[in-house]
Amino acid sequence: MRVVPKILGFGVVLLGCFLFGFGWPDLQHGKLPSAHAMNTLFGVKSGAAASPEQEFSHAYTKILTDYIQPVDATNLKYAGMEGLMSSLGDPHTVFMPPQAAEAFNDETKANFGGIGARLAPDPLGAKISSVFDDGPAFAAGIRAGNVVTGVDGKSVTGRETDDIVTMIKGKEGTIVKLTVIQSDKPRPVVLTIKRARIIAPTVDYKYFSDYQIGYMSILSFSEPTAAQFDHELAKLEAHSMKGLVIDLRDNPGGLLDSAVDMLSRFFENKLVVKMKFRDGHEESAETIPGYLHEFNYPIAILINEDSASAAEIFSGCLHDYGRAKLVGTHSYGKASVQNVFPLIDRSSAKITIAKYFLPFTPFFGRKIDQDGVFLSGGLEPDLKVELDPSSVIDPDNPKTDGQFWKAIQLLNPNPAPSSNSSAKSH
Amino acid sequence: MSETRKSIFAAFGIVMSIGAVYGGLRVRQNADLGTLEASAKDAPVSRMLASRTNDVNVPAADYFYELSQKLKEQYVEPVTDDQKLASGAIRGMISSLGDPDSSYMDKDQFKAFLNARVGKFEGIGADFVLEYDSRKGGDPRGATKPKPQGEIEMDPEDALVNVQEIPKVEVVTVVPGGPADKAGVQIGDTVDTIDGHWIVNSNLIRKFRVASKKFTDKKMTRAQLEILRSEVRSKFDKAIFPGKAKEKLFMGKSGSVSVIWSRNGTLRSTTIQRGVSSLNGFTQTAGTINLPFVDGSAESLKAAIRNRDSVIIDLRNNSLGDVQAMKHCLEVIAPKGQYGYFITRRHDSPTPLAVLNGNPNPPRIKLITDRSTRGMAEAFALALSSKGLATLTSSSMGGDTSCRQIVQLPDGSGYTLVTSTYSPTLAKSMVTKKGGA
Repeated sequence: MRVVPKILGFGVVLLGCFLFGFGWPDLQHGKLPSAHAMNTLFGVKSGAAASPEQEFSHAYTKILTDYIQPVDATNLKYAGMEGLMSSLGDPHTVFMPPQAAEAFNDETKANFGGIGARLAPDPLGAKISSVFDDGPAFAAGIRAGNVVTGVDGKSVTGRETDDIVTMIKGKEGTIVKLTVIQSDKPRPVVLTIKRARIIAPTVDYKYFSDYQIGYMSILSFSEPTAAQFDHELAKLEAHSMKGLVIDLRDNPGGLLDSAVDMLSRFFENKLVVKMKFRDGHEESAETIPGYLHEFNYPIAILINEDSASAAEIFSGCLHDYGRAKLVGTHSYGKASVQNVFPLIDRSSAKITIAKYFLPFTPFFGRKIDQDGVFLSGGLEPDLKVELDPSSVIDPDNPKTDGQFWKAIQLLNPNPAPSSNSSAKSH
Repeated sequence: MSETRKSIFAAFGIVMSIGAVYGGLRVRQNADLGTLEASAKDAPVSRMLASRTNDVNVPAADYFYELSQKLKEQYVEPVTDDQKLASGAIRGMISSLGDPDSSYMDKDQFKAFLNARVGKFEGIGADFVLEYDSRKGGDPRGATKPKPQGEIEMDPEDALVNVQEIPKVEVVTVVPGGPADKAGVQIGDTVDTIDGHWIVNSNLIRKFRVASKKFTDKKMTRAQLEILRSEVRSKFDKAIFPGKAKEKLFMGKSGSVSVIWSRNGTLRSTTIQRGVSSLNGFTQTAGTINLPFVDGSAESLKAAIRNRDSVIIDLRNNSLGDVQAMKHCLEVIAPKGQYGYFITRRHDSPTPLAVLNGNPNPPRIKLITDRSTRGMAEAFALALSSKGLATLTSSSMGGDTSCRQIVQLPDGSGYTLVTSTYSPTLAKSMVTKKGGA
């Protein structure tokens, strides 16, 4: 009979269809059907009586049912996921619940209009730390040192700087009203500013003739940074230079390629970083030939705990190859690459997938404890100088900036007395 | 086979195949949902929320599993310790409650905690609570935002503006003859500074906020504000958080710790050697019974009060008692009846504290109480005194009758979870804090 094999064949096809349906939710996400789900299908209990997963479930249920007051189940679940991810002790491997994940997305897209200023924390709101010359904030009369206490009529005293920045940013061409304390006005003023597309300058320079020191501040590493660096360096080198101070304090990093481009001014075909991945494979970045510049003077780099990522690679490399001394406090310790994995409920998981290694410095990744307190990591400065938090820094007077002042002394211990005491800027 | 029959078979085959795919999908959905069976109770809550905020509500257990898998597949270093992930997740959930009495403890902390419950102390020989000011005002818990986890670091400057309130580290037990006792530490003292590290506290933050407000209102000069700001800054530079501070005092058997205590606003410096100290277990000296609420206490109490028409029970330095042990002691000493309630803030009815058989001939009872009488000891005292069965030497007790569940995890860590508070009457709800009955 040929019917039996036919029926059997049909049965196999049906089973195939069933398994296809069963595995579809996984296949949809480009994965093999999860073993976990298969186990439930065939009645296999995973693990012993209390697998970590069950233990977690147990605690989750207990808190929901037994805690003295009602708890929001979704928030509790997310708190658990945050704890799960932070148990690795890596500050960059984090769980982002839907809201945070969406904010993060917007941030990386960065397609926002702004007012052309940088903000820093202040107990009364946010302090303007710098204003871009051609931006709308400058045009409206905002200057560094002003304090923003309100945005669109709402007080922002006590709010996190990031939140305030988010409130100020918006669609290009729209209006934002800022309540600002300006030292020359008796009471806060409300300024109406039209948001614009901002291309932030990343390099700033100053020449200090008293000490024959060039000062270059790099705010972040983005595409035009290397070109801006060349441009400003040329202006500096028009003067006689006993040394160059590169200020990478508060530089959060940016593009690795930009740091590599910059380093290509210092040496050719040299290793910048090695990236080691989970599966053991390595990738490395090297400086490119053809951009070499002759630096006929010593270099010092200012770093602090907010110098991170590309800023650490740049300063760490120059340090490793003996081209610069580091001055300030230890850097942040961002020595890893992350990937963001979107999850089904609009949350996401940001996970460290590779580590950076500098040519000679041992791994400098940041370690924190479960309360988020710094344990170790970052680049150690050659000359450790803490900044006096109460000092008010006058950008034209290096003596008001303890770290900068130490760097100057390092580069030019015996400055020739000079008649001209002012700093020249562009 | 005729053409018609062939067609029928083909159609039948197609229908069956589609049915099989659909069946597979349905079974899978059930399988995915099935993992949360254990907590079916909360399912309506989840679904309600799901419809409001999320398109998809992934059951917590599946979430845990998927995220663990993701880490194992992707994280730069091998992730092998599932237990660590589970403990981390539980820690995250517990700390999100923002409740100082519900806390996760790592292995060493939990061990020290369990030992202290049976009277064996290390550290400086004292126990502490993290006390919120607002709690005394009547809002016991959940008054704070959960502590940020993960990437958001605990930057003290951040705490200055973001964390609404930070608890004080307050002494609730001093082991007689222990290191803290010898150094003159008293119940109610709070910790200001440890080894040069200032304990972040909300008073200074509040003071600074008030000053900032004054400054904006032009009632304070910038110079005055700057003085305060630099004080805040210098303190924050070397600050530690209350939980860490407690750990430094509660744990360790060697080394010394220098502590600045605050008592009614006056500061006092001490240097204290850590070591082992212990509270008396069940004892009976000169007619006074020391009654810790631990396993076996009820039996000892029963023997001690036999043929006595009056007893004196010392409930001082008694803050870590166990609810079951307390109930057993009540059963031994009090007549049948109802002695108040365990109350929650959920929509469930209070659980009566009932004595089922009891002692038909209770002795006259005098209880020695003070501010170190807390938790189940305080509940015991309130239960007896509210029925006129006992007199208290002081009605001002610890002011905390929370009932905690204690859960140990396989890796030795553990957590406490507050499940209810005791109250002698329903009218005086759980918000009654300081002062007791």
